[in-house]
Amino acid sequence: MPFRRLDQSNPFLTLGVVVVGWLLVPIAVKTFTRATFFELTAPMTVAASYARDLKEYWTLRLHSNSELIAAGRDLARLNASYEFSVQQNTELQSEIARLDSLLRLPSFTDYRYEHARVARRDFSGWWQRIVIRKGRNFGLPAGAPVIFSGGVVGRVTEIHALTAVVELISSPEVRLAGVVEGDSRPISFQGGVNPTFGPPGGVVEFVPLDIIASRNNPKRLVTSGLGGVFPPGLTLGLITRLELGADGLFQSGEVKLDERLGSLTEVTVLVPLSPE
Amino acid sequence: MVTNDTHLAESSGGLVESHKGYNPRIVFFYYVLAALLLTLVGGLGYQQLSKVGHYSDAERQQNQRRILVPGPRGNIYDRNRNLLVGNNHRFSVLLHLDELKAQLHREHIRIRNNYRATGDKDVPSYSQLEQISRVTLVQRYFDQVNAILRRSGQIDARALRRHFDRQLLLPFTLLDGLGDEDTARLLERLPVTSPLQVYAAPTRSYPYASAAAHTLGYVRPDDEVEAGDFPGADLTTFKVKGTSGRDGLEKWFDAVLQGEAGGRIYRVDPAGFKINPPLESRLPKRGKELVTSLDIDLQLVAEEGLGEQKGTAVAIDVATGEVLVMASKPDYNLNEFSPRATTAVVAKMNETGAWNNLAVNGFYPPGSTFKILTTIAALRRGAITPDDAIVRCDGYMKVGNRLYPCDVGHGHHGDILLRDAIALSCDIYYYEAGLRTKPEEIAAEARRFHFDQRMGIELPGEQGRMTIPDPAWKLRERDARWFPGDTANMSIGQGDVSVSPLQMACFTASVARGEVFTKPTLLHRPGAAPQRYESIGLTTAQRAALLEGMEGTTTRGTARTLNAPALRIPGVRIAGKTGTAQVPGRKNIAWFICFAPVERPEIAIAVAVEGDTAGEDYYGGTYAAPIANAILTRYFAKKNNTARPLMPPLKTRP
Repeated sequence: MPFRRLDQSNPFLTLGVVVVGWLLVPIAVKTFTRATFFELTAPMTVAASYARDLKEYWTLRLHSNSELIAAGRDLARLNASYEFSVQQNTELQSEIARLDSLLRLPSFTDYRYEHARVARRDFSGWWQRIVIRKGRNFGLPAGAPVIFSGGVVGRVTEIHALTAVVELISSPEVRLAGVVEGDSRPISFQGGVNPTFGPPGGVVEFVPLDIIASRNNPKRLVTSGLGGVFPPGLTLGLITRLELGADGLFQSGEVKLDERLGSLTEVTVLVPLSPE
Repeated sequence: MVTNDTHLAESSGGLVESHKGYNPRIVFFYYVLAALLLTLVGGLGYQQLSKVGHYSDAERQQNQRRILVPGPRGNIYDRNRNLLVGNNHRFSVLLHLDELKAQLHREHIRIRNNYRATGDKDVPSYSQLEQISRVTLVQRYFDQVNAILRRSGQIDARALRRHFDRQLLLPFTLLDGLGDEDTARLLERLPVTSPLQVYAAPTRSYPYASAAAHTLGYVRPDDEVEAGDFPGADLTTFKVKGTSGRDGLEKWFDAVLQGEAGGRIYRVDPAGFKINPPLESRLPKRGKELVTSLDIDLQLVAEEGLGEQKGTAVAIDVATGEVLVMASKPDYNLNEFSPRATTAVVAKMNETGAWNNLAVNGFYPPGSTFKILTTIAALRRGAITPDDAIVRCDGYMKVGNRLYPCDVGHGHHGDILLRDAIALSCDIYYYEAGLRTKPEEIAAEARRFHFDQRMGIELPGEQGRMTIPDPAWKLRERDARWFPGDTANMSIGQGDVSVSPLQMACFTASVARGEVFTKPTLLHRPGAAPQRYESIGLTTAQRAALLEGMEGTTTRGTARTLNAPALRIPGVRIAGKTGTAQVPGRKNIAWFICFAPVERPEIAIAVAVEGDTAGEDYYGGTYAAPIANAILTRYFAKKNNTARPLMPPLKTRP
């Protein structure tokens, strides 16, 4: 009887041996294995993403002509307003450039915009990240900022041949310097510990005492541009709660992030033209 | 066979017998062994049971470390809750050394192997290798910061060694006083889990820079963090630097302003590295707030009036003794003391003498302002009456064998009564009044007004260099006889009389209330009962004459400039007295004391300004009275709500 029980424990013994073996494997081998695994599975991830796109395409094909005409009209209107905004921006940018040269200020980093489809989303209590369908093949560098229409998405943390991993700003691993809109003092923003399907949030520190924000009177937190990674003025979220820190010097609080971070399909990677 | 068995039996029987014989030596050995065992067991029991507390404490002291974090200091406000002293921040980047244990070990091995690989016979000792690995590793982290901030900083190896030896559990400061851009770059580029972290340390900020510098005082960083009731007093303790007040209110109320220290107690490994989580943790608490009696609006007016002159102005609430203004020039920018004053700043202050608070520790002869005291002494002792012309002023008066002048230029006052003598500051009248009163009586009156004592204001270092001379004093201090000329000098506040401007302000407030003392305070206590001291003891007629004379000073007398249309305060009657004190061989002092309104006094002021040229006349009516008038103007404008905000506080940023 005891021998039989011993036979039954073989799988556990095997598992134990494998775990111990894995622990003893050198870090370089582990890193190589992990990268190789990612590269091997990347085509499947990308293929699944394309299949999802195809499914969406056929779903859209089912719309009636009148719906498409209405959508096209709305799109044309949007395009017209965007066109106007682009012209205004061009004017403002030339004015900023003129003032920069007058005041001899260092200009902000210029970026190349690389649009990418989201291939996979990983949300858990441990990490908040997405995999995008562009990588080294499009010259994306690690650390590049990623944005979408609602503001900042996060930063590229891993680059692979065909894909890249983007750590979302809702991840506790991401920290950046923001400012309250209209203010110039830097505030530390960091992703919070977010539940898997809960609304994304973050925390702020070093908030000056004269800034007041509440759920009913939230303050918009934007990138400062001072850190040199993100251009200034991109939305991070809304500060919805502040409380006095123990040192009495600053406040700390909570930031509500854009809920669309959980359902992103398309993002833009800002690739610095002259990396530091 | 039989033989063998018998032999065996015999031999075994012999053994048994030998054991049964109870050899005394063996028995003795048993007892010794038993005693030794008992001693051991007893000792063990004693150590384990009786001294358990001792060993428990020793183990705790060996394995636990305490970190104390000072609480932020409390703010200081003026009476209208304007912030005078607050806390600002300085960003710095710190390296948590206690998180580097494994890396240090690896670095140590790597360096040692490098030495061995190169065949170097002169391999450093263990402690040398330890120091090399520390510097190398910390410099590597510093280089990360350098790369982010585009700098080229180097580690101070000695400071690092000191920190490792004495403050391992505290983070090591790599860079201090970071600007906004550097802070933002580090926040954005340093990994969240890095042992390098951005930290904001409190630093004292003074929104009004140099305003009331001597009164507010400054702080200096130190390690004197009081643990309060935080446990672990017997543990090895690391203290995060705090600050303590070194002058002014910051020093006097240091215990109030100091926050309550927080801290953590960690278990540590044999090398001294901490083991998380902390066994005990408490957040620091902010110190209490201090609401001073100062009025920053009036303070700024007074300091603007003093300008670049060396001098002081003190204004006091007549009823409560609360000090509204305490200005002293030259002064210094308090923000230059935060976090600590540079050598250049200290050298400049030494050169200008800006350390000295002239309001409290500037001792000058009071000049003609002292005539108010002489008047009171003479009236109380019946030496003069308001309506008697006790002497004719011809410009000079012979006292003893010397001619004493009346400081009225080439003119003279002729037959003069008390009211005019005060208003026009006739010296001849006061020589005569003093001689009639006697020096002992004048000195006694001065002592009655506490001129011979410290005022006891809440400021450190109030000196007791005031002098109220009399014949006994002169004999004791100078070993010389008192002459009538000394009495004449004393009567007009000259000679050896020496008082501080704060004393004169308190005296003025006392005269305004008709009492002999005003206890000054720098604390604002709304609703506090007015001060009450012994009455001066003048009759109604005597007091009326005194006040008429003092009011005459500002309407037709030596401070009549205040009655000029440009300076006059509509509807406010001011009682004042000018003074021009001559200090032989030194610069003259322009004095002005006053209170207002005459009919219901609210504010009393004393202004003393040092002349800039030795021997030059420096009239109180010209140089000191306008400063007091500016304070009064502002005071009554605020009271009537017609004042505009004067100067916004500076936005001080580190």
